[in-house]
Amino acid sequence: MTGKHHIVIETLRIKYEFDIRRNLTIIQGDSATGKTTLTDLLQDYARDEVNGPIRLQSDVPCVVFGGTEQNWESFIQTIKESIVFIDEGYSFIRSREFAEVIRQTDNYYVLITREALTCLPYSINEIYGIRTSGRFHYPEQIYHEFYPIYKEETECTLNKSAEPVILAEDSKSGYLFLKNCCADKECISAEGNSNIYQIIKKMPREKKMIVIADGAAFGAFIEKVLSVARYHRNIMLYLPESFEWLVLKSGIIQILNLDEILNHPESYIESSKYFSWERFFCELLEKETSDDPIRQYHKNRLTDFYLEGKNKERILEVFPEEVKVLIES
Amino acid sequence: MLNIYFGEMNNVSYGPTWFKYNYELTWFQEPFVQQMLEAVDKSKYVDGSVIESPVLGPIPPEKLSGGLKTLIMIYEMPDKIFDATSCGPNCARWLLEIGKKRDVTVNLRYLMPMEGLEPFELIIANNGERVRTAEAYTLAAVDYL
Repeated sequence: MTGKHHIVIETLRIKYEFDIRRNLTIIQGDSATGKTTLTDLLQDYARDEVNGPIRLQSDVPCVVFGGTEQNWESFIQTIKESIVFIDEGYSFIRSREFAEVIRQTDNYYVLITREALTCLPYSINEIYGIRTSGRFHYPEQIYHEFYPIYKEETECTLNKSAEPVILAEDSKSGYLFLKNCCADKECISAEGNSNIYQIIKKMPREKKMIVIADGAAFGAFIEKVLSVARYHRNIMLYLPESFEWLVLKSGIIQILNLDEILNHPESYIESSKYFSWERFFCELLEKETSDDPIRQYHKNRLTDFYLEGKNKERILEVFPEEVKVLIES
Repeated sequence: MLNIYFGEMNNVSYGPTWFKYNYELTWFQEPFVQQMLEAVDKSKYVDGSVIESPVLGPIPPEKLSGGLKTLIMIYEMPDKIFDATSCGPNCARWLLEIGKKRDVTVNLRYLMPMEGLEPFELIIANNGERVRTAEAYTLAAVDYL
C-alpha cells in the first residue's frame, strides 16, 4: 500500500481526525486520552456500516485486530490493503515473528502500545499521542487529533567550552561521511542503535556529544536515549530520515521528480516492498548512481565524490545550522 | 512500598481484563479511588454503576480508561502482580501514592517518567535498588528495558 490516508471517524459526541502515512504508526501517551475509544468506534462501525451511529471516512478499510495471541498470524494474513489497528495488551507485537509476517503484507499498521518494539523499524516521526483540541467542547462533539511526540532535533544548551564528540549509529556510510567532516574531532560509531543509550550513560558529563542516527528506524530507541540524555544535559540529537535522505536532499544527484519524492515519499514507497523508508532512499540512491563508477553509492563505503569539495559542502548544508557548526568547528 | 520490575516478566496480570470481571461497586465509594478517577479520567463517580465522563457522558465502570482500571486493580488486589504498562505517564503519581498505602509489585515495560514527583521512594525489583530521585530511577530502570 502507498499514500497518505486521511481518516475521520465520528459520532454525535466524539470525532477523531488524523492521517496515516507509513506502514507503522505507534500511538502512546497518557491514559484516558481516547486510544481504546478509537478502536471501539472502529469495531462498532464494522458491525453496522450503513445504519449504525458511527460515520467513517477513509479511502481504505480500517480493521481492528480481533484475534487472539494464538491466531494473530492467520487473522493478519486475511487482511489486504487495509489499515490494521491493534489495541494494547497483545504481547505478539513484540515478537520477531510478527515483524516477519507483517513486512510481507500490503497493510499499514497502527499499534497502540507504550513498549519499545525493537523488532520493528518505525520512525520517530510516526509516534503519536492523542489530544482533545479546543475546537469542540462538552456537551458538543469532542474533537480528537494525533500529535507527534518526538522531533527530529532536540533542543538543548550545550557546554560551549567542551569539544564535541560525534556519535554515529553505525559504521557505514553516514559514519564515514561524519568522520571525514570532523577532521581532528572525535567521531565514534555506536555499532548499532541499541548501544547509543549505553554510550551516553557512560560518558563523562562535562563532555559534549552530538548523536546522529537514522530517524526512520529509531522509534524503538528514542525513549531510552532521551531519558538518559535528559540527565547528561550536554547531548544533542539529530535524527534525519537517513544518511541517504541527506544525500538526496542535498541535490548532488540529479533524479527525475526528486523534490516531489522527498516532499511526499509516502506516495512512492510501497509498504510491502520497503519495511522502512530508509531502505527506499538507499535503494533509490544506489540505483540512480549504479552506472557511474565515480558517483556509485554503496552503503558500506563512500567514494570521494561524497567526501570532497562542493558535494561534501552541499550534504553538510542539509544539516541544521547548530549541528553543522559543531561538526565543522 | 512500590516495587517495579522492568522488562519481560512471567505471570503478570492484564489490569483491564481483571477489572472487567472483578470490580466491585463499593470500590468507587472509597475516597482514594475517587481521587484517581478524577485525576486520571477527569470523571466523577455519581452513584450505583454510573460515572460521569466529560467525553463520553454517563458511563459504566467498564468504560473507564485502561490505565485507571489497572491502577484500581493494583490498589484493590495488592497481592497480584499487574502489568502497569497500560498506565500512562499521568498515572505515575498515583502508582507512587498506592505505594505509600500498600506493598505492591508491578511490571513495567516502558520508562514511566517520574520527573517532578519527588520526593518519592520505590524499589527497582530487578536488582533490589531503592531509589529516591527521578534521575536515579531513570538511570537504574533503563538498563532493564
